[in-house]
Amino acid sequence: MDPARTPLGQMLLEEITPVVMVLSTPSVEEACLKNGFSFLQMLTPFCSFNNIDVPVRTASDQPYRIHKFKLRLFYGSHVKKPDLKVAKEQLNQVITDSGEKVFSELCLDASEIDHETACSEDRDTPSWFQFFNKELVRMASFSDHEAFDHPVACLLAVSSKDEHPMSRFVDLFNTNKLPSLLKDGAMDPKILKHYLLVNDNQDGAADRASKILTEMRSTFGASDCSLLSINSSLDAPIKHQDNPWASQACDASPNQDLGCFLNIDDIDEIKDIMQNLSSKHIIPNMEQKIRVLNQQVSATRKGFKNQIKNLWWRKGKEDVVDSLNGPTYNFNSIESQIRVLGDYAFMLRDYELALSNYRLISTDYKIDKAWKRYAGVQEMMGLTYFMLDQSRKEAEYCMENAFNTYLKLGLLGQQNATRCGLWWIEMLKARELYKEAATVYFRICGEDILHSAVMLEQASYCYLLSKPSMSRKYGFHLVLSGEQYKKCDQIKHAIRTYRSALFVFKGTTWSYINDHVHFHIGQWYASLGMYHVAVKHMTEILACSHQSKTTQELFLGDFLQVVEKTGRTFEVTKLQLPVINISSLKVIFEDHRTFGSPSAVNTKENLWHSLEEDMIPSFTAAKSNWLELQSKLILKKHTQSNVCVTGEAVKVNIEFINPLQITIPVSGVTLICKHSTSTDELTSDEKESSVTTDNEVDHFRDMSSYNSSFLVSEVDFSLRGGETTTVQLSVTPKEVGTLEILGVRWKLSGTIAGFHNFELNHPKKSIVKGRRKAKQSPNEKFKFMVIKSIPKLQGSVHSLPGKAYAGDLRQLMLDLRNPSEFPVKNLKMKISHPRFLIIGNQENVKLEFPACLTKKIDSVQSDAHASPNVMSETVFSFPVDTSIQGETPLLWPLWFRAAVPGDISLYISIYYEIEDISSVIRYRTLRLHYNVQVLPSLDVSFQISPSRLRIQDFLVRLDVVNKTSSESFQVYQLSSIGHHWEISLLQPPDTIFPSQTLMAGQAISCFFTLKNSRRSSTSEYNMSTIPVGSDVLLVPQCSQDLVYNMNNVPLVNFHYYERLQQKVSHEDLGDLNTVDFVLISRPLNSSINPGLSDPPHVMSHHTCHLSTASTGPISWLVDGPQTLHHDFSASFCEINLKMHLYNSSDATAFVCIDTIDFDGSGGHMNSANTVQSATPDNQAGWHDVTPATELKVTPNAPETQPGKALSLDSVSPYIWSGSSSTNINLESMSSAEVPLQICVFSPGTYDLSNYVLNWKLPSQGLGASDETRQHSGKCQGYKYHLTVLQST
Amino acid sequence: MIVCVAVVGHQNNPLYIQSFTEADDALKLHHIVHCSLDVVDERVNNPKKSGPMLNETFLGLLYPIENYKVYGYLTNTKVKFILVTTDIDVKDADVRNFFRRFHAAYVDAVSNPFHVPGKKITSRTFAERVSTIVKSFGFSSAA
Repeated sequence: MDPARTPLGQMLLEEITPVVMVLSTPSVEEACLKNGFSFLQMLTPFCSFNNIDVPVRTASDQPYRIHKFKLRLFYGSHVKKPDLKVAKEQLNQVITDSGEKVFSELCLDASEIDHETACSEDRDTPSWFQFFNKELVRMASFSDHEAFDHPVACLLAVSSKDEHPMSRFVDLFNTNKLPSLLKDGAMDPKILKHYLLVNDNQDGAADRASKILTEMRSTFGASDCSLLSINSSLDAPIKHQDNPWASQACDASPNQDLGCFLNIDDIDEIKDIMQNLSSKHIIPNMEQKIRVLNQQVSATRKGFKNQIKNLWWRKGKEDVVDSLNGPTYNFNSIESQIRVLGDYAFMLRDYELALSNYRLISTDYKIDKAWKRYAGVQEMMGLTYFMLDQSRKEAEYCMENAFNTYLKLGLLGQQNATRCGLWWIEMLKARELYKEAATVYFRICGEDILHSAVMLEQASYCYLLSKPSMSRKYGFHLVLSGEQYKKCDQIKHAIRTYRSALFVFKGTTWSYINDHVHFHIGQWYASLGMYHVAVKHMTEILACSHQSKTTQELFLGDFLQVVEKTGRTFEVTKLQLPVINISSLKVIFEDHRTFGSPSAVNTKENLWHSLEEDMIPSFTAAKSNWLELQSKLILKKHTQSNVCVTGEAVKVNIEFINPLQITIPVSGVTLICKHSTSTDELTSDEKESSVTTDNEVDHFRDMSSYNSSFLVSEVDFSLRGGETTTVQLSVTPKEVGTLEILGVRWKLSGTIAGFHNFELNHPKKSIVKGRRKAKQSPNEKFKFMVIKSIPKLQGSVHSLPGKAYAGDLRQLMLDLRNPSEFPVKNLKMKISHPRFLIIGNQENVKLEFPACLTKKIDSVQSDAHASPNVMSETVFSFPVDTSIQGETPLLWPLWFRAAVPGDISLYISIYYEIEDISSVIRYRTLRLHYNVQVLPSLDVSFQISPSRLRIQDFLVRLDVVNKTSSESFQVYQLSSIGHHWEISLLQPPDTIFPSQTLMAGQAISCFFTLKNSRRSSTSEYNMSTIPVGSDVLLVPQCSQDLVYNMNNVPLVNFHYYERLQQKVSHEDLGDLNTVDFVLISRPLNSSINPGLSDPPHVMSHHTCHLSTASTGPISWLVDGPQTLHHDFSASFCEINLKMHLYNSSDATAFVCIDTIDFDGSGGHMNSANTVQSATPDNQAGWHDVTPATELKVTPNAPETQPGKALSLDSVSPYIWSGSSSTNINLESMSSAEVPLQICVFSPGTYDLSNYVLNWKLPSQGLGASDETRQHSGKCQGYKYHLTVLQST
Repeated sequence: MIVCVAVVGHQNNPLYIQSFTEADDALKLHHIVHCSLDVVDERVNNPKKSGPMLNETFLGLLYPIENYKVYGYLTNTKVKFILVTTDIDVKDADVRNFFRRFHAAYVDAVSNPFHVPGKKITSRTFAERVSTIVKSFGFSSAA
């Protein structure tokens, strides 16, 4: 790469060029001012020569050619070190101006903050940096330690108008007026002079000018004088096509056309003069000087002898001078001359020569400790190396060395250090070592904050440009620089840097940094009064849950302050405070489905579907097969969007989350909706109340104004730190058309309005009620077809308890109202849990509860007949003439019974049709949902065992445990329902319930005998399906007419469902031998739990399918004496027994009775079949009745174990003396008697259980339902103790 | 003294950043850690330097900034551990040892089935363990 083409090379070729000092008289200036510029300005454009061809010959004999050359013109008064203060102010001005300029550009596109474009622009280093750097370099110019700023020539200009022009020329170069550099000996005052006579053609007197010229030529020498005529264009100002002065236009007044009085000839003349000056005077002069100096230098310094001499001489000097600047060198000193030689050579681009001289002088300065000069020379060496494109390392080393040396000098070297640094940076940049350049920038940052800000910013760009680009460092340095800008009140620059930094941090999760940047940009914009932009940035940081509480308060406080300053409520899209949980969004609307309560809404749709399946005709049709279903859905998609009804609210549930730790007030939460009167979406006459584009804030403001076509609800709330609230918003359309819900808006702290569009790309959105169409576009879900008002039933169930004890039986009232004037008809109803809730009859309304349950009104027997039929239907249809309209509600009784403990959800769906046929919706359903918590109350269990006294008699043990914690109950009545069962108490009730109450936690047992009355009427039982039962009152003093009738309406129905329910869990062991019990209990009023709003009146506990014949269809009874006196001295004793057998099955059974005699090994106890006899002897606490443990579980039955105390060993054996095996065929439902006999040889107590009963049923001819039934079995004899005593 | 430790995920998202100074300099440390990622990237993507130590997880001194020294460590899953310290002369062995223990703690923390990969580490146990490791920094090799 050609170093001259690099930016640094270009800069050096422009900046390190011969300086021409211009001295002019006021009249010259005057003449030039006519054109709008000074004399110097007039000449400047013609000082750079791009296609000249000048042969140059310096120290070597070989000439070379220069094609480009440039002169720098300075007025004599300017040839001095710039005043630091002025320069600084100037620099600050530069920064401020550029700040304004860049910022205003930035603001143009700030209206639409588009970071992407902003970033790409910023990637290019802002141009004003170049200018700024140039100014910085200029600050270090005209230093006495370097020669390239020293004027090479002097241009003296006198106007032809001046009087005594000759003396003016002399005066101009008066030593008093000369710059200090020439005066105090830093440079040779004997410099090349060129005399220029300026003639203003407007003033005429061209002959005077030529006269003066000849005079000049004779005085100063012919070649050194020239005449310049200007302002030749006499009248008309000339417009120059490409104005050579255009680049200087900033200094001049803009309205004046620069150079308007200069015609082409004038310009050509200026050009010629300048070119002449440079190629004929300055360059040869410099060449000559180089040659002279080179000779001198080689005479004094070159060669071995000179070097030794020089070394010795310097060493001797060392002790003398020890000032900071080192010794002062005037222009005569060899050191200065070498330096001048070097600089001249550099300017004439003889870099080899320059380098050798710089090297030479560098060591001298170092030895002399002339640090500034040393640094200057090092700097030049670095640049020379660079221009030679040799030894990059050397170049960098020199630059670093120079830079460090300047830095060591402190304030004195400050400007030079900066300049050196900048050159160094340019050098590094030219070699694409951006990272290193950035570190140099970092080192340039001095005390001056503003400068360091600019440097840091430049450093940041270097990081960005480095490969690979270090964007994080870029961001960091931008932030640092922004901080510095802020410190010097360059807010606009600060904003600019921070905004550039944003793109680094955007999209990352480095939230602390992000917050910092956004917050400060916001603050700074606010301080500039640009509140809109400020708010935009501030909103970014609102959801700063990771920050500390104080920071959150600060952020929110500042934000509110800024918003307040905007002076109106501010609309912000996607305000992050509070956070909206979009996945929680639920749209609730009622088309043909209406809801009685919010909880009904939350129920899953398919649950309702299954419930309503039977009632709604179209649904069943649609589900016939999947092909049809698909096509219908597609059709529906076009024709039928979501439907809602005029006047009925569409509700939206939204969850708001406060991510902060501080409380935020939120008010005015409303839905943003759009309503168009046309149902067709394509028509253009939409009457929009707001518009979808969220940028257009105005539209949202319109929202607040009253809108006629729909009503929206407004909610206010306040969110504490970290709180989450679900808000229900509603919109009620008032006109037919299309309604679309677009989003939600709210106000934070009353000043900032935020709105959130319900974005269309949330796949998770759950529209609870919307039918789930496969590819429904999401915004369809927010679109509703508003149809005209149709009646909507309102329903509720009165006095349904929220909490009830198990068994609680109540009468409830369903209240249906139709507020509209249109009647509805064809009502149907279905209930999800008929076990808990059944539908009563219209007549029941009049009934008084619980009195209606008692036998008194038993006369309505027809009810009982009818009800099982009703129950078989799952859908209850209201009478045909039922129609609800206007104010009069329809009341319909319902029966409620808390069947089992637990939390029960009851779903009721009511179907009705609308008489107005024209409506889109023909029918609607009202869905009601209630939750009931059922608490455990009484735990009832039964145990049935066959009585040993009479065949077909059973002993029933009832165990009741009060499971409640505080409640007391009165156990009122036990009823048996089954096939002709009769039940009676064994003991009078007084003995069972002395206190008549069952306290909390108390358990009691009582015994009943159960008699099968069917025995006598075997043939009749099939004739009636009505279960008849018998009732036992457990409360003594009650009269018989307060007995609850099990055949009364709700009880019998509930019993039906209980039977259904319990059938599932219990195996049906034969329908003939099962018995159902219903226990009626009543709570005692004295101890009503206040937690229950409505005390229960009657509670019923149903236990069904208790089997009496658990061992099989055969029951038997051994009949004989219990105690016998016999004189064993006479003979052994023969005892006759009788066995009664009964077949309770519906088929003929074959029974075989085998008696087993005592065998010696196992005693008289049968050990072969221990299953039956080893039944655990559970005395108490048996709650559930299982078939496996039945027969033998009668230890505490009336036959109170007489032989318990007897040792089995002492028992003498007995023998069966009758036939050892008896076979009989037992007809269905018949009994038989088998005689048995035993022989006893000694007195004692005998257990007569040593027999086995085998039975068999024919397996043919039985229904499939009887598959599970036992067909044969073997029964061990039960214990029958016989005591034989020795008679006296 | 260790000023700050940080865990940065493979997408350069901060997973855990904890400063151990009293001063409120969280922002500065965030910046330092964030910038150090540039150097980590550079080290990783520059095959010249990382050639001989291909499997080396320890990245060494990333860069000195102001009065801090920043050390880096890169796991095989491209999770970066950053250590910012004010100590002037830090033994390399100490830092390696620190990172090894820190890595172990991190592995345990992310092995928690309730930890969501790529999300910030909120485990209190991890924080406690890290602070113990930080406190014992520099003593281990001396002892």
